[in-house]
Amino acid sequence: MSTSTAVRQPRMKLKKTTGDQLFSLALIAPTLLVTIVFIIVPVIDSVIKSFTEYKIKNIISGAPGVWNNFENYIKLFQGGKLWPAVAHTLLFVVGVVVAQFVLGMALAVILNTGLKGARFIRSVMMMPWVVPTIISALVWMWIFQPQYGLLKYAVGVFTGGAVSDFAILNDPGTALLGVAIAALWKQVPLTTLLLLSGLQNVPDDMLEAATIDGASRSKKFFAIVIPYMKSVISIVVSMAIIENFKQFPLIWTMTGGGPSESTTTLAILSYREAFVSNNLGSGAAVTTLWMLLMILVVALYRKLFQAEDMN
Amino acid sequence: MKRVLALVLALCLALSLAACGGGNSTSQPSGSTAGGSSSAADAVLSEEITIKFANYALLEDGYTEFWEGVKSGFETQYPNITIEWVTAPYGEITNQVINMAGGGDMVDIMFGELDWIPTLEDAGLTVPVTSVLTEEYLADFYPSVLDSCRVNGEIYGLPMYISPFILYYNKDLFEQAGLDPNTPPTTYDEMLTMAESLSKLTTADGNPVYPFGQTTASVAVSGAALTGMVYNFGGTVLDENGQLATGNQGFKDAFTMLHTLDQKGYNPQNSKLKDLRQLFATGQLAMYYDQSWGFNGVSSINPDAASFTASAPALKGGSGNGASILQGQVLLYMDNGDLQREACRLLTEYMLTEDVLVDYITNITPAYPAKQSMANMELNPVLQGAASSIDNLSSAPFVAAQADLNLELCTLAQAVTVSGTDVDTAIASFEQTASGMLG
Repeated sequence: MSTSTAVRQPRMKLKKTTGDQLFSLALIAPTLLVTIVFIIVPVIDSVIKSFTEYKIKNIISGAPGVWNNFENYIKLFQGGKLWPAVAHTLLFVVGVVVAQFVLGMALAVILNTGLKGARFIRSVMMMPWVVPTIISALVWMWIFQPQYGLLKYAVGVFTGGAVSDFAILNDPGTALLGVAIAALWKQVPLTTLLLLSGLQNVPDDMLEAATIDGASRSKKFFAIVIPYMKSVISIVVSMAIIENFKQFPLIWTMTGGGPSESTTTLAILSYREAFVSNNLGSGAAVTTLWMLLMILVVALYRKLFQAEDMN
Repeated sequence: MKRVLALVLALCLALSLAACGGGNSTSQPSGSTAGGSSSAADAVLSEEITIKFANYALLEDGYTEFWEGVKSGFETQYPNITIEWVTAPYGEITNQVINMAGGGDMVDIMFGELDWIPTLEDAGLTVPVTSVLTEEYLADFYPSVLDSCRVNGEIYGLPMYISPFILYYNKDLFEQAGLDPNTPPTTYDEMLTMAESLSKLTTADGNPVYPFGQTTASVAVSGAALTGMVYNFGGTVLDENGQLATGNQGFKDAFTMLHTLDQKGYNPQNSKLKDLRQLFATGQLAMYYDQSWGFNGVSSINPDAASFTASAPALKGGSGNGASILQGQVLLYMDNGDLQREACRLLTEYMLTEDVLVDYITNITPAYPAKQSMANMELNPVLQGAASSIDNLSSAPFVAAQADLNLELCTLAQAVTVSGTDVDTAIASFEQTASGMLG
């Protein structure tokens, strides 16, 4: 009896911190795996392909792309399509994000005033957000249709018949605006909802104190509400920048990048290179530049808009 | 206990991700020629075979019944052969087929557009139809029809039925404008003269009537329609070697005509074919170019359209003779071995008969037959006026970047219309972009 007790080895025990670290690592492993397999590897693969001649036949045969001395990039920079696409992308992103924020904030403030029926409005307002993007595009194409569309009719009525040929998507000067209106219709509801939740977290006592001190409404809004909402605003605007940078189905369905390529953004250019020209290497080159531009814009925005901890 | 549970969940998630991978067995292509070996010809009648048939039309209203009828009729005739549909929406079916092939699962046969041939040939997916069908069988097809499916001298698609771009016109509107409804224009100049009278019409609810419609919106089929218009004027877009050949008067005349039509407000700007069909069906468009099966879209909007619609061959312009290019819906074949190709041969020969096709191309998707032996079959009455178009076809060469080239043609058309760029400048810009695209 005493002999068997003497032979028994002491159980090896990890230090508590080491155990916790291993446990954390085990928990985070699936997320890491997903990120590596579905994000990091495809991004690296795409960047590598952007330096090669890679076409559909490579997919079919399994043959790797052939290094082509930066030809995809050289063609892009010399082809005359890249810079207009960059300009259209930035114009679309900046325009939609600013309008989206202003409209979303205005609606959130209105809904936060205890308006009668606010809950009902909030529910109905979310409808555009749940409609699939392609359906939204088709609805807006119908509204903008130049011969029998609702907008043409409305413009005719409001101008007393003076303007009878208003066709927003047919004019290279207004087509991007037409797509932007459709994008706003779809995206403003979620922005409003997120900003509303931020508004509801602004402490009432601060606002009451400011009221007692005689602060005006605008002073309270800009000096208390906005600073308290900085973290929410930061997330909402970052999401909007990314969403509009990668906007493809709305533009492709509504205009196909036309007329006269006035709505050809980097998303459209990338699709055309990869899946219309069937030049996947060139499409990957556009995507790489597009990704770099998006990282740059988001980083710049984050730098300019660093959230402060109001607590 | 909580920690153990969390670890188990994490492990499950990781394992399920790992299980996402997988592969398919790759079929072994045979590379042999039409008719296959005699053993394959015998085996196809006895062995259990499944033909994978990629077909977007299954998902479209009005076409399902025909295709399901083909399946049941064929499987009744050949009980050992089963058709397995591979479907995706129209715009996605080529990517679906390519992705499947990339994963080692290649379909045997595909129903698609003529314009898809260069993409699939360049991808190395399709095989020449001569490796599936015999020379004797192919001899029954109009030579110009088969020529329109050639890439590098080989025929890569077999048209089930065909149509050039034809002119649909509204007889009622012609009458209202004081024109003879039985005498459509034959040249662009005649059309412009008639358009003057037609442009003065309005619909019952006061909307203007457009005299003439040519699609110019940014979709690939609009580029094909514009190519057809260039050929009407005796011009070309590509030469036989697939190089840009736009330095001809016909090419310039075609886009000058679009500019003229736009200046006069005759052509609805930046329209897709479906927009033109809508306008035509509702009496807001007097004439327009479309594929024959476009009438299906018109009659789905206005079931009475047949009462006022007639067709005519494409117009002659400049020094051209009104030649048009072929549009067709084709069968494309992939090589999964002798037995599969032999089964595809039987399926093709079953489908492309008057018995199977007559109702489909007369009533469901109005079109002209591709086979000479079916020349006397009943046509949709609306198509009678343009029947002679079949004898005035030109074969437009294909390039792998055909769809992108077609979109560039749309951009050129938009430049001379909605952007107001002068024709020479717009053509110079097009040539610069297109030559970079063609390499």
